[in-house]
Amino acid sequence: MTREFLGEFEELVLTMVAALREDAYGAAIADEIQSRLNREVNLSAVHVTLYRLEDKGYVKSSLGGATQERGGRRKRIFTVTSAGMATLKAMRAARVDLWNLVPQLKLIVG
Amino acid sequence: MNEQTSPASKEPSENVVRDWSLRLLQRVCPSWLYEEIEGDLIQRYKRDALRSGEPAARRRLRWNAIRFLRPGILMRNQLRFNVTPTHMIRNYFTIALRIMGRNKGYTGINVLGLAMGMTGALLLGLWVVTEFSYDQFHQDSERLSIVWNREKQQGGDVMCWSATPRVLASALNADFSSIESTASFADYNETYLFTAGDRKVIKNQANFVDPSFLTMLSFPMIRGDVKTALNDPNSIVLTEKFAKQLFGDQEALGSALTVAQGEYKIPFTVKGILKDLPSNTDFHFDYLLPFSFIETNFGKEENWGNNSVVTLVKIKPGAAMEDVSKQIRDLKKKNIQGEQTELFLYPLERGHLYSGFENGVPSGGRIKIIRMIALLAVILVLIACINFINLSTARASRRTKEIAIRKVTGAVRSALVLQFLCESVLVALFAAVISIAAAYLLLPAFNALIGLSLSMNLKTMAFWLPIGTAVFTVGLLAGGYPSLYLSALSPLSIFRGGWLELGKSRVRSLLVVMQFGFALTLIVSTVVVYKQTRFLQERSIGYNRNNLIYQYVTGNLLKDFVNYREALLSSGYVSSVTRTSSPVTQRLSNTGGMSWNGKDPSDNSIIERFSIDQHLSTTMGVEIVQGRDLDLMKYPSDSTGALINEAAAQLMKFDNPIGELIRDSGREWHVVGVVKDFVFTSPYRRVEPIVMQGAKLGEHMEGVVHIRLNDERPVSEAIGAIGKVANRLNPDYPFEYQFVDQEYARKFANEETTLAITSIFSGLAIFIGCLGLLGLSTYYIEARIKEIGIRKVLGGSIASIIGLLARSSLRPILWAILLFSPGSWWAMHWWLQTYEYRTGISWWIIPVASMTLLAMAMATIIFQIYRAAKISPTTTLKAE
Repeated sequence: MTREFLGEFEELVLTMVAALREDAYGAAIADEIQSRLNREVNLSAVHVTLYRLEDKGYVKSSLGGATQERGGRRKRIFTVTSAGMATLKAMRAARVDLWNLVPQLKLIVG
Repeated sequence: MNEQTSPASKEPSENVVRDWSLRLLQRVCPSWLYEEIEGDLIQRYKRDALRSGEPAARRRLRWNAIRFLRPGILMRNQLRFNVTPTHMIRNYFTIALRIMGRNKGYTGINVLGLAMGMTGALLLGLWVVTEFSYDQFHQDSERLSIVWNREKQQGGDVMCWSATPRVLASALNADFSSIESTASFADYNETYLFTAGDRKVIKNQANFVDPSFLTMLSFPMIRGDVKTALNDPNSIVLTEKFAKQLFGDQEALGSALTVAQGEYKIPFTVKGILKDLPSNTDFHFDYLLPFSFIETNFGKEENWGNNSVVTLVKIKPGAAMEDVSKQIRDLKKKNIQGEQTELFLYPLERGHLYSGFENGVPSGGRIKIIRMIALLAVILVLIACINFINLSTARASRRTKEIAIRKVTGAVRSALVLQFLCESVLVALFAAVISIAAAYLLLPAFNALIGLSLSMNLKTMAFWLPIGTAVFTVGLLAGGYPSLYLSALSPLSIFRGGWLELGKSRVRSLLVVMQFGFALTLIVSTVVVYKQTRFLQERSIGYNRNNLIYQYVTGNLLKDFVNYREALLSSGYVSSVTRTSSPVTQRLSNTGGMSWNGKDPSDNSIIERFSIDQHLSTTMGVEIVQGRDLDLMKYPSDSTGALINEAAAQLMKFDNPIGELIRDSGREWHVVGVVKDFVFTSPYRRVEPIVMQGAKLGEHMEGVVHIRLNDERPVSEAIGAIGKVANRLNPDYPFEYQFVDQEYARKFANEETTLAITSIFSGLAIFIGCLGLLGLSTYYIEARIKEIGIRKVLGGSIASIIGLLARSSLRPILWAILLFSPGSWWAMHWWLQTYEYRTGISWWIIPVASMTLLAMAMATIIFQIYRAAKISPTTTLKAE
């Protein structure tokens, strides 16, 4: 099977799911991206991306607990599957490989 | 999926939940996603409310909620099932291929059955498509029409016909503003001799047109200019094929040729060469001459009463055909006193299939036959699909474990359905490939059979698109029921063991009933069509058509016919010679205008005209029942004498016909004899009244000579002798002749085609049906093999077991016979009504057809049943 291709935003969300672990749900991921990367993200975009990742088999989800701050609505907690983790690692390794090809001198100058 | 309702909340956020944006989102969002989305939105809202106040938070909430109305969320409702298993499709195809490979016999039956059905349907489909393309290729064809006549007959019936007077075209063109152009097309029964250099060709059909004919219709001209080709009275346009016949490889355009008839010999110049006419047109000609030739030499025909040409009309863009029809309706009435005929336009595009008129209103026409053919094609595919359905469901017993395992490991039903559909589409695809190849190879034979020239254009989308659609449809049709059936099996009942109740599917029996019902209907139609065709062919036609030839009287023979006749008679090869106005197999003209003593003035029954000189009884072998034959040597006054047939004598109600006078077009004929009825026009109809008028009308009326060959001499020698005489006396014309019996046989071309089609396709239907029965009974017997073993252990004899198995296999066929015989009887009764002269449906036809069907089915399965009954119980029972 050919490996699924991950877009930049997908990779970002997938990484966040891995990082946030038990607290990985739509709003939290959006907030985290906003605060850490200082990047304005749209809540619905995060949701759609999460569902797409689920279709591709990189994350799975289950309904978590309800909290007061959510008006009693439950969260959908996403967790990275081993396929998702493998893809993340592979992409990271590939990026590191590519970085190694960049002359270090230029990096310093730049 | 999870669809729990959210726990009750006592928060003030409840009024947020009732905001229109959230309610809208709730309505359109997939329900299993809504809870968490709503939760996230509320969470955001609360945070925003704390940071920037209630109104701003609410605005932001709405904006956030609305942005959830995106396909990635909304489409999940529909796409979820479809998106999920797409990556499995390749796997399904792989599995399907393996399964097909493992069960070669089953796959063979399935693919072969489908392929045969599809081949038949493909050929028939090509035929239907071609029929629908007749004369559709002309530019602006929606504005082209033919002028028809409509006249109320004595007794109230309305008759319609399309022959119109020559003056109509110019009158329409001159007086009606919404008509763009008109043209006359004439198709005269004349014999012309074409001479170009030393090549000579005789044509028995003469076509005259107006120059506008070439621009109104889109017959491509490969040499010359369509606008001017026929402007000159002495110009001629040839088809490519005819040009080649006359000029060979020489340049034909601009060349001279002569056209001769009788003593005329006229030079023409070739001004245009048309590409050979496509097969899908109802215009047939080898050459076109301009009307201006006749009109400059012999004067223009202004008679409104002479319906001799077809009038083609092109209306202006934007004009409605019905309106123009209304405008021209009374044109004939205005020009002829006492005329009752109305005119109307009928679209050229509808001319081929819908030119049947019943009592003045369109009633179909050829389309009726074409609909039957389309139906036949659908039935063939249906029969083949039924095979597939039955075999797949019956075979389910083999695949239950696979299905159960798939279900247990998490296959949802829709995925199983998709898997089975993939399998059936794959089978349909294989079948389609085979059937396209088969149809391609069979097409020439099929063309010869139906007398058309269909072609398969493999390079166009117009061919592949319907084929692709058909494969897909057949796949879905054939795989639909099995996939629903198989995917519904519960894994629990499968693993619990034992045979499922697969042998007793009601639906399957019903399908077999349908299959064999169709087969029965086809057998019955074959028998009835065969019987009717034989009945027509063996109809006693009233004259002796064997050893009788006719030829057209041409050139010198016209001038000195007596010499020719004497030479023929003295050769010893010819026993009798008669000149006539037309071959005895073709009508020349008829009229409602004859009169005689005691005629009811309101009676305008149609009477056929036939001109003869003498010796009708000896040449044709027609029996004289009263009076005598015409004989000019003995009775010179016989040139105004006439023979009538029994039907005419009956119509005219003569006590003693001999000596009575019959008036026709200002001439009087005295009846000298009555002949026994003979078939003159159509073998399908009752014999029409005929008046055979003597030679008084003049030699030009009698362009045909019938020659009775001497029975004692071999035919080939006789033909040779006649040819020698003809070539000696008439060296300018090639010797051409026709055998009357062959010409007569041609009248049955339609029946022969129908017979061939029904017999071939009923054979095909039976074969496919039996193929299915074979497959079905294999699985059926397999399912009962233990039962058979136990029966044998308990003392059942082989004969009783064979009886048991045969009974249950043949039961659906008995039902088919019971249910479908009334329908097939009725269908054939309806078909026979189209013939005036027809056979009945004998009582034995349906029993014989039923027995044939049963015998075929029995022959198919008997070997398997016998083998199953013979098998020793020890082998079948020991496996437990």
